[in-house]
Amino acid sequence: MIAIQGVHKWFGRLHVLKGIDLEVGQGEVLVLIGASGSGKSTLLRCINGLERIQQGKVAVDRIDIHASKSDLNRARQEIGIVFQQFNLFPHMTVMKNITIGPLKVKGVAAQQVREAALKLLDRIGIPDKADAYPDQLSGGQQQRVAIARALAMQPKVMLFDEPTSALDPEMIKEVLDLMRELAQERMTMVVVTHEMGFAREVADRVAFMDAGVILELGSPAQFFENPQHERTRQFIQKVLQA
Amino acid sequence: MLKAQASLVAQGRLLKLALRAALVGVLVATLIGSLYWVLSQSYTFRWNLALQQLPKFNEGLWITLQASGIGMVLGLALGLVVALLRLSPLALLRDMGTLYVHTLRNIPFLVFVIFTYFGIARAVLPPASNVVLFGWDIDDRLFWGALALSLFEASFISEIFRAGIQSIHKTQQEAARSLGMSYLQAMRYVVLPQAFRVILPPMTGELIALVKESALLLVISLPELTLTAKQLSSQRPLQFEFYTILAGYYLMITVPLSAISHLLEHKLSIHKRGGAT
Repeated sequence: MIAIQGVHKWFGRLHVLKGIDLEVGQGEVLVLIGASGSGKSTLLRCINGLERIQQGKVAVDRIDIHASKSDLNRARQEIGIVFQQFNLFPHMTVMKNITIGPLKVKGVAAQQVREAALKLLDRIGIPDKADAYPDQLSGGQQQRVAIARALAMQPKVMLFDEPTSALDPEMIKEVLDLMRELAQERMTMVVVTHEMGFAREVADRVAFMDAGVILELGSPAQFFENPQHERTRQFIQKVLQA
Repeated sequence: MLKAQASLVAQGRLLKLALRAALVGVLVATLIGSLYWVLSQSYTFRWNLALQQLPKFNEGLWITLQASGIGMVLGLALGLVVALLRLSPLALLRDMGTLYVHTLRNIPFLVFVIFTYFGIARAVLPPASNVVLFGWDIDDRLFWGALALSLFEASFISEIFRAGIQSIHKTQQEAARSLGMSYLQAMRYVVLPQAFRVILPPMTGELIALVKESALLLVISLPELTLTAKQLSSQRPLQFEFYTILAGYYLMITVPLSAISHLLEHKLSIHKRGGAT
């Protein structure tokens, strides 16, 4: 579903991605972990073209994201992304936030879009908040609306960029539960997170990034019980102690 | 109990406001009254004669409104285009926008009007011939004057647009683009509606400046308000009266502009809270 080959990225003179190769299969959940500054968020943002790459190739559903001949706007309709800071549209109601994509980008009929949005609201557990504005919701509710907004486009892939890092502890679970459900429905997901419990339980594979390269890639069991690299071992020890 | 208290507080506030208004009114009236008295020692006011010329002022008002109206519509449209140029990822477009803003913003409007009417217009058309646009016959002074006003104001307006758009965080643009929106869709549905709120107060100031600048169009003999007052004053010895009326006419245009902007601002801020809380 996602094929990343030999990707290099520089911010000015800073070499942030140093040759990334990675494949994510249909229905697979890949969790990306690593210290801050290791390049995991940047890699995620290269998958939907929010960051340009200087070398290599990223293909999603066989569409080359960074080729100038590809229709990036079309490709992005298939790739949902959820940000750390939610990034909801503050001047629109929850309903409008969820429906604007299908309405204006895909041109789906209003009635149909509204019905689908009501179903999504029901599913994320806030059917009564359709007419609320984002700043009237809790952080956890906002992040669930952000997930619903992405799902409303019926994407083939969902990207999550530290979706729980800006949340209060008691709200983390409601967001992770929703992501867990998505994983059970065989949604293809790439998740950047520091939630080790989620990684161990939900991920099909875990990738550990360090200084712009993928240092270790394997099943959660193998990754947490028997890491191959010294650097990985140190990282796991640190986060599990915290 | 609480309700009664609240209404009592509201009443108290109203009383305070009325007192304040009355005090200001008395002060201003006294000031103007004494000034008027001092002047009347050496000058005979003949308001009834001056007021007979109001129909002439109304003709001037109509032309001022036309020039400012065209200036606002074209200035806003062109200003938005220039702002988008200045925010473009393409360096060439950015440079063109920057060049536009920095040339026009840095010459006096008076010079620009003279340059447009006695320079460009003369180079394009024979003197004093009307401009025919889509079968619409326009007085050439109005045409070139309004055009100069639009072009000049667009440079200031574009900077207001640019600052407003930039104040809406880059992440909003990213979130919109990630849904598959094009750049222009993201601008239209996500960035501009939010930027509008930020833009409104400085934009009102700029539009008021535009109305006031239209007075300078008298140098190309466009018979707008100021030229009307000036001509009347040269024909009759009622300068003080005529120029007082002139100032009053400008206030009649600009004060409602501020009021509309104030109302809009209020309405938008309530909208943001969703009417609740």
